[in-house]
Amino acid sequence: MHKRFLAVFAYIGAALSLIVAACTPFVLLGAFSQAVARTGIHVDAVYTGGTISRTVMRDGYQVDIYRPVQPHALQNVQPFVQIAFRPADSLPLRFSDEIDLDGDGRPDVRIRLVVPKDRNARPTGEVFALNDAYRSFRLPGSDRGFSELIAQSNGALLVRVPINSQLASR
Amino acid sequence: MASAAIPHPKRRPPPFRSVTRSALLTLPIALWALLMFTPTLRSPGLNQHIGAFATIAFMTALFFLMMRTGKTYRWRRWFFVALGFLFPVGFIASLIHLRGSMSISLEHMLGGDTPFCHMVIPMIIIPAALTRTVIFPGSILPTASNPHSIAVMIALWLAFTLVLGKAWCSYACFFGGIEEGFAALPKHIKIRKLDPRLRLVPWALLIVVAVLSAALFEPFYCRWLCPFKTVTEFPTVTSVQTAIQMAIFVSLFIGLVVVLPFLTKKRTQCGFFCPFGAFQSLFNKINLFEIRFDRTKCVDCTLCQTACPTMALSAQSIREGKTLLNCMKCGACVDSCKKHAAVWHLKGTPVAVKPERARLLFLYGAWALATMLGGSILANSLATIIGFLPLR
Repeated sequence: MHKRFLAVFAYIGAALSLIVAACTPFVLLGAFSQAVARTGIHVDAVYTGGTISRTVMRDGYQVDIYRPVQPHALQNVQPFVQIAFRPADSLPLRFSDEIDLDGDGRPDVRIRLVVPKDRNARPTGEVFALNDAYRSFRLPGSDRGFSELIAQSNGALLVRVPINSQLASR
Repeated sequence: MASAAIPHPKRRPPPFRSVTRSALLTLPIALWALLMFTPTLRSPGLNQHIGAFATIAFMTALFFLMMRTGKTYRWRRWFFVALGFLFPVGFIASLIHLRGSMSISLEHMLGGDTPFCHMVIPMIIIPAALTRTVIFPGSILPTASNPHSIAVMIALWLAFTLVLGKAWCSYACFFGGIEEGFAALPKHIKIRKLDPRLRLVPWALLIVVAVLSAALFEPFYCRWLCPFKTVTEFPTVTSVQTAIQMAIFVSLFIGLVVVLPFLTKKRTQCGFFCPFGAFQSLFNKINLFEIRFDRTKCVDCTLCQTACPTMALSAQSIREGKTLLNCMKCGACVDSCKKHAAVWHLKGTPVAVKPERARLLFLYGAWALATMLGGSILANSLATIIGFLPLR
């Protein structure tokens, strides 16, 4: 009797798995993806740059200043702050800007950028730290991966400024 | 004068089922395939239509042959090898179309344009559970520049895993077909003796990769060990480190995916290296379908052991009438067994009582999902290839 029940349950399970297979492309795929997205998981801030803290409007473009990103313990990335100049198409070919990164009303870095006409080419430039909290760098010339870069992505020109002190918090 | 003995012509075994019965059993799959490709057939594009029709015919014909001959592995292999060799074509073409290059640059990573692949799943679990963070430079939901998003791939994997368990590795993994193709090439096995402890390597690698990925907060396997970067996408070589990474990817690909499968007729990357395969083995515990051995018929000829592409059988396991945990339900052992001792089985039912019923229940789910995922890859790749042909 027990074996018979087990067999009935097995066939019910097999039928259910067929139903799952049949529903996957129409219902389950969308539902599962939405459920995964609803869990609140997000891509690591080392790749996305984190969340925007403030937006400053300039003549013809805007500057999004992100919250500082503090990498995890053994992650091979230095802490950084991301700045996005957008839209990249509206940026002058050469420009310089002073940015207040921590919101204290005083500029923290001076950024000079050369935006190539070919939007697939890499932009170049220099970041001058105006205080000890941030580090200066020049590109091309130094390459520290995700924490020190000037790049074009998704219609914006991204600059990541490495942080010297541990003032950053996730 | 003694007459010379006339050799008996080699007789083909009688078909497993009649044509009519096989066709009737194939009908649901034919309709399913048509349904899957209806959106493609409704949209404009001759190449896409040809690709879709060819795939519908291919998948339906293979299922019909499975029904007609009673063999699973033999026909599944055609699909799987086609998937393995055509996937890179369509994938590389879409990469070049979307971003102009097969290599992935820093800009693409920042933009979330890295397609997510199932191999990453075991590496993201611990960091996602602890910090809700995905340590992969993709996007959670699909975007115009990255349709292969993290949520969609996880959802696909989840559905397949619920239905098939580790059979993901023989019906869905678009990488496994490449080595299965190379393993199918030689007539005879060149290296016969393989240390059974090699089966433990994927488990060890799974632990190492999961722990290192969680500690370093990066997908360690993708960064350093994935052989399939060679035929999909790879980091732009800009430094000594990326050059070393590329050298590792290419060496592993040539060794584990081309040379060793050719010499051993085994899926060496899947059986002796792939940490995702080890992870997927765990889901065989909750999956209803399995391969079992009818001990009353088994003569311990070890033909099944030789046929198994991932060494998922041992003398001990056969004596116990079971496969090992890493069985991917490809059906090679069942096809090779001359005594019909190796059988498909639905857990909870008596062994070898109605094995064909268990096989049918498994195959309908497996082939439906294979048509959905693998079929769409085949159709897309065929359309890409047709687009390259100088037909006009």
